Amino acid sequence: MSDAELRVPFPQRAGAALKDAFLQEALTIATTKFIDLRKEAFAGFPAGEALRDQARRIKEATLQRLDAHLGRLADNVERLGGHVHWASTGAEAREIVLRLCRERGVRTVVKSKSMATEEIDLNEALEGAGVTPIETDLGEYIIQLAGEKPSHIIAPAIHKTKGQVAELFSKALDGRFAADPEVLTAAARKELRQKFLDADMGITGANFAVAETGTVVLVTNEGNGRMVTSLPRVHVAVMGMEKVIPSMTDLMVFLAILARSATGQQLSSYTTLVRGPRQPGELEGPEEFHLILLDSGRIRQIAGPLREALYCLRCGACLNVCPVYRQIGGHAYGHTYPGPIGILLTAMLRGTESVKELAHASTLCGACKDVCPVRIDIPRMLIELREHVDQEKVAPWAERAMFRAARRIMSSPALFRMGARVGRLLQAPWVRGGRVRRLPLFLGRWTATRDLPPVAQRTFSERWKDLAGGPPGDGRRGRRAP
Amino acid sequence: MTAAGAGVTPPVRASLMITCLGDLLFPEVGVAMVKLLRGLGVEVDFPEGQTCCGLPLFNSGYHHEAAAVAGRTMALFERSEHVVVPSGSCAWMVKTEYPGLFKDDPRRRAAAESLADRTRELSQFLVEVLGVTRVESPFRGTVTYHDSCHLLRGLGESRSPRTLLRGAPGVTLVELPGADQCCGFGGSFSVRLPEVSTAILERKLASVEGTGADCVVACDAGCLMQMGGGLSRKGSRVRALHLAQVLSGEDGA
Amino acid sequence: MTTRAEFLGRVGEEMRKTPGLFPAETAERPARPGEAAEAVRRQMAERWPQALERFIREFERVAGIFHRVRGMAEVPGVIRAIAHERGARELVTWAPGVLGVDLRESLGADGLTVTPAPAGADEAARLRHREEAARAGIGVTGADLALAETGTLILLSGAGRPRSTSLLPETHVAVFGRPAMVESLEQVGILLEELHVDPARSMSGAVITFITGPSRTADIELTLTRGVHGPKYVHAIFVDE
Repeated sequence: MSDAELRVPFPQRAGAALKDAFLQEALTIATTKFIDLRKEAFAGFPAGEALRDQARRIKEATLQRLDAHLGRLADNVERLGGHVHWASTGAEAREIVLRLCRERGVRTVVKSKSMATEEIDLNEALEGAGVTPIETDLGEYIIQLAGEKPSHIIAPAIHKTKGQVAELFSKALDGRFAADPEVLTAAARKELRQKFLDADMGITGANFAVAETGTVVLVTNEGNGRMVTSLPRVHVAVMGMEKVIPSMTDLMVFLAILARSATGQQLSSYTTLVRGPRQPGELEGPEEFHLILLDSGRIRQIAGPLREALYCLRCGACLNVCPVYRQIGGHAYGHTYPGPIGILLTAMLRGTESVKELAHASTLCGACKDVCPVRIDIPRMLIELREHVDQEKVAPWAERAMFRAARRIMSSPALFRMGARVGRLLQAPWVRGGRVRRLPLFLGRWTATRDLPPVAQRTFSERWKDLAGGPPGDGRRGRRAP
Repeated sequence: MTAAGAGVTPPVRASLMITCLGDLLFPEVGVAMVKLLRGLGVEVDFPEGQTCCGLPLFNSGYHHEAAAVAGRTMALFERSEHVVVPSGSCAWMVKTEYPGLFKDDPRRRAAAESLADRTRELSQFLVEVLGVTRVESPFRGTVTYHDSCHLLRGLGESRSPRTLLRGAPGVTLVELPGADQCCGFGGSFSVRLPEVSTAILERKLASVEGTGADCVVACDAGCLMQMGGGLSRKGSRVRALHLAQVLSGEDGA
Repeated sequence: MTTRAEFLGRVGEEMRKTPGLFPAETAERPARPGEAAEAVRRQMAERWPQALERFIREFERVAGIFHRVRGMAEVPGVIRAIAHERGARELVTWAPGVLGVDLRESLGADGLTVTPAPAGADEAARLRHREEAARAGIGVTGADLALAETGTLILLSGAGRPRSTSLLPETHVAVFGRPAMVESLEQVGILLEELHVDPARSMSGAVITFITGPSRTADIELTLTRGVHGPKYVHAIFVDE
């Protein structure tokens, strides 16, 4: 999202999303479908729970020897004839890609879906340098034509109707296309096929990189990942450094749970294991392979409060179950990564200040933690983020003062009792039919859409003396389980 | 029946943690709980001077403040054999989060762990401690049950409330589609992002009304405030009731 | 520009600040991959019929089309029928030495053009074969492994085994027999560990591809469509000898 758009406060962006009727329907259908698919996949997979536990342990164990694994990965990639680049920032990563384009005379780039390249705004940089990036993942291709950003980690164009896609294609491809997914898919296949064959460079992300063998792993469904890593003469993979895993044996654990979590498939249509550029004697494949390892705030979290977020497999399962994401979609979050994990990743990559509103875009219901394949405790980290937002004095002064006052009231029974009496007095004009229907100021946010029970005429504490000293009954009202 | 000799068990003694919302806004739930528990042979006491468990402070990241409030609560219930809580979220706070608030203070941490062990949400207390699964309640009607997030995911409890509802002779329990989905309360979330909170609530209420039940039952004051507030604003005939009200028949009907 | 030493130095620095969140270990690898792989092969020599049964079920579940023949001699016939059904006139194949059959002779007579992977690996051969694969309606490959658990075909790229054969044409046909059958991802892991002990010797190519059904997407309104960029149809011909 542009800086101008980000200046619109998050509640307003969320509000706009709530009023978008098509988006609401699309989100409900898509997220419900993904939830059901995932549930079904794990219901029929009893080994799944143990594998999730194991996957989590592998991620943690890998972090505990991360420098060794990254070193080994780099050694192996280089042994295979590939090149490894180390990018501390997104800007550096962009610069590396642009330099490669300059030096290799690259004019067009075909891209397979990569959140890492979204994160570093690579496409804009390429265009600025006169290089044409072409997104080939169908969803990414659609939003590229629309000039938008993805709204979901694995289904980027979830917010577009087939009618809108047909319109986009008709304009861009100079033809008339029916609003039929089969027709539109065939159109994209035809259009992009030639682009694959003609492109100078292919850019991908990487779901994993196996340190022991120097292998970069791509989990895809469309086949564009295979095209992009086989047809152009240069392949560049941009990868967050935390995606490294030690061995092929480890890889199998993740493959068993990743697609199931993302789409409910046992395995995606294609899992591609790429070891560097083409081998001597191999007919096809790139002449050159470059792996760009990206820091961009990740390294700092190895010993930071968001360390667990480094386990993330980017499956999108947490988005699908999040009550907030399901209502507002990805764009409203305003950053590359939306949904529950997105809030944590944004804090990681852009700092605490960037999430001072987003840290509260959660009811802390815990559904995300339930479905995360590596059991990341997202709610806990959201609460800690809120603590940092407070400590770093990012939250507004008035809010912090209010919570300090709340603490004083909660710490003193006398103040608490007085609070009840004051509440009863103040609410009097607003109580109708035993309910509070309107409240002024800040509390009006509740009563705009919901009634409230009034502060009771007698609190429970005040009623206790009428109840105290009552005897236990004879136990006849209850029956134990046989 | 004489009281002498072996074979007579002393009554179970439980202290009621009323919670801030319970005390101020839902005292009738507290009354229903007392009636219910006494009817099951429990000796109920109420340590006075209760305020709040500290959850609202904790969830907004004000952990230092939450620890101060938690310390007070721990002191009040120091001598209680059992602590029974009407709200899953408050029970969760005490059971899972209190010890961590005092990780640098071994004495208070031990006190927190002790309280955590002795504290249960109402349905868990009934089923686990009293071994009760069937309550002879005068309540008559069709109900549907909403799983509040902290009870379901925080404390792993979804069976006990349903067991108790099914066990009450006059109650017909209809399963709520999406029962495990959040109602949109989320504490301060409900006023920080009221539009989103309301949108989530509307989805929940559509499910509730779709069941045809007379009321929706939950074990959390926050959820009941949210759902009850929405139902009341719509003029719905569906009521939002606490489990204790259904089981004790003290539903104000 | 950041150097490797700087980058890894920062990683190490952060690592030293914390013992981690909990004691954890990575997956246990086979101590002797060669032996473990042999054990898998011995196991599968017995269990291939059960594996095949499960493979068929899972393969069809992901829209694969399965055929079973008694010998290599019957393979051309099946492919001819597929070509007829799909209206395909041109085929590309892996090298006959790799495939175990030369389809030029058997299918050439029916007016079908069969182009196997060329012997050379020079630029001219590469460009020519790319055009041929892009034009072809069917690509015929072997399968190094057929994974029963998920209905997956696993292909190694390399000399005589171009990647495009199973990627560019609209229809992909994979021909394999008993030795390819494996049951679980875990077994695949063991075999991959073995392959990578001396990769320069065991693999002539850079890519290992797991293929589970045709190319697919649900990016438009969550409606499933097949044949996005990769093949729309995937056939497996199991040769029972």
